[in-house]
Amino acid sequence: MTDGDAGKDLQRRLLSEYYGSLSDEGRNGRKVAYMFVPGNVVELTRCFDMLPVYPEINALQCGIKKMAGDLILRAENLGYSSDVCGYVKNDIGLMLSDRKSPFGVLPKPDLLVCNYSGCNTFVKWFEALAHFYDAELFVLDIPYLREREAAKEDVDYIVAQLEELATVCARISGVPFDRGRLRRTLELSMEAERLWVEALKTAQSHPSPYDAYFEAVFYMAPLNILRGTEGCVEYYRLLLEELRARQKERRGPVPEEKFRVVFEGPPPWPHFRSFWELFKRWGVCGVASTYSKVGGLFDQGILHDPAQPLESIARYAMNCYTNWNLGLRLDLLRRYVKEYEADAVVIHSTKSCRSFSVGQADFREVLVKNDGIPTLMVESDLADPRYYSEAQLKNRIDAFFESLSHRRLLGG
Amino acid sequence: MYVAGADIGSTTAKVVILDGEGKIAATSLGPTGASIVEAAQRRFKEAIEAAKIDEHEVEFVVGTGYGRFKIPFGHTQITEISCHAKGAHYLFPGTRTIVDIGGQDTKAIGADERGEVTDFCMNDKCAAGTGRFLDNAALAVGLSIDEIGPISLKAAKPLRITNVCTVFVESEIMSHMARGEKIEDVLRGVHNAIAIRSIALMRRVGITPEVTFTGGVSRNVGMVQALEGQLGTKVNVSPLSQYVGAIGAALYALERARGAPPTELVAEASG
Repeated sequence: MTDGDAGKDLQRRLLSEYYGSLSDEGRNGRKVAYMFVPGNVVELTRCFDMLPVYPEINALQCGIKKMAGDLILRAENLGYSSDVCGYVKNDIGLMLSDRKSPFGVLPKPDLLVCNYSGCNTFVKWFEALAHFYDAELFVLDIPYLREREAAKEDVDYIVAQLEELATVCARISGVPFDRGRLRRTLELSMEAERLWVEALKTAQSHPSPYDAYFEAVFYMAPLNILRGTEGCVEYYRLLLEELRARQKERRGPVPEEKFRVVFEGPPPWPHFRSFWELFKRWGVCGVASTYSKVGGLFDQGILHDPAQPLESIARYAMNCYTNWNLGLRLDLLRRYVKEYEADAVVIHSTKSCRSFSVGQADFREVLVKNDGIPTLMVESDLADPRYYSEAQLKNRIDAFFESLSHRRLLGG
Repeated sequence: MYVAGADIGSTTAKVVILDGEGKIAATSLGPTGASIVEAAQRRFKEAIEAAKIDEHEVEFVVGTGYGRFKIPFGHTQITEISCHAKGAHYLFPGTRTIVDIGGQDTKAIGADERGEVTDFCMNDKCAAGTGRFLDNAALAVGLSIDEIGPISLKAAKPLRITNVCTVFVESEIMSHMARGEKIEDVLRGVHNAIAIRSIALMRRVGITPEVTFTGGVSRNVGMVQALEGQLGTKVNVSPLSQYVGAIGAALYALERARGAPPTELVAEASG
């Protein structure tokens, strides 16, 4: 059994090493590839010694560190509309502030890999960065997932693009493409992903040993930032060990687990703690969430596979959560409610992220009316602190759990 | 034995006192103003005087509304969503859908045969479709809020108000007036616009009859007619509709005074 903080300590060390590697001295001549979290191709770029930078993660870190508000205003002063995604404006604001992030000065990109084209904002975001940084942009065209299984022709289509991307990476980095290295990197990804899936499943126990929304969004960080490294595997080995220890001791994130909830949508990063508190007060524990799967729907069997290197990267890219069709997403929410024995679904709809928000009102309607699953939908934003109205949120959350309590009391 | 419900909303403060049988003993209503504490105390005092009882005879007080955590004499707080469902069920036991249009929010609530909330939806981040929308419309045409409803009933050709912003609707109204449109047609358009928005919210919880219309805006006859017209069905409106939240709060107080366990968060009262 571990003392419970070893995972956290390791994560802190790994992330600080990662940010250190991005500094001028740390880079040591290595090239920098910017990319997005959902469905990215970091295993491929690692083969060319390229350092990944994830603007979404920088934006969410700025949100947590309460820097987002000022950065967003800087972008708005440049002319970005209030309707533009807060992550984008945060990133543009960072650029205008000489890329001074909470973790040091971020490097400029040598290559921008837009790995998910289903979000039009992603494409426009990197087009803007390509313009401002005068960097090369590679847009992967990822077909929408129409059926549960990715169609073979779609996978082939993406593989062909990945081969092309490999040529670009080799040219920019000066490092030749080593397919053996790609397989070894994928081996490490797959190992970490398997451990994470096991960790996620511990939330099926009562009480859940961790909050599968409010804590999982931190647990998922190494997979989103360090996938394909030894440190990442080590982190999930430790995490799984810790969660199993807590499971054994029946220790959970709330003193008494009163409501088990499936969460849909990203959290409001600038108000993360206060948002969590609004649920904790009611003894709410997240037992599953879709946002913790933005870095991969590994628990749905979407794992990287060294035996099918580029094909598995292609399948992974197509299976990013927001690329799933709405029927599949709804079905996933339903299955989570069942598999994790949840009492309710809470949807946090964000103004910024349309990829997430589209369909959420329909999810709510179907879950409530067809499945009889109590579902609450609340609204704010993932990046822009101005859209968070605590009194309104509190009122809705209180009313929702109050009514669940009443019904429980009356046995209905 | 007596119990009380205090509904301290963004615009008005309401207190209802029930006797041990659940009958209304007294009510009191007035503007909330800047001090929630003072408004609540004033209404409570007035209600007690009207009921001709002593303060100590009130065994349990439930607070609701945005000001619920600031009510100094409240024993606990329950959200107005639960209270509106309970109160509407008290006045109209057949109620299954409640539409509550208040000063700055609109709610659609689904309730079961016991008056318990089954589902609810509220307007988010925007006051369009709330009482404030009507206030601004009244201001724009230089009338009082009590005048616009009756005038709207005279409309022969209601106009379509397309603006969804409470602030910008004023300029839309002004442009209609400048074109020489009749004030009643403009006002009916305003009422219809709110009805349409409220119905969209109601559809999200499902419109199951009977529909009960509550909140301050339900006193507006123009709004009642617009809602019925757009819904194509009658809606219940009580002369006590402004008190529905306070009645619901008082009913919860009665349950608690009779020994029911708490289902709300009890540890959070703050002065």
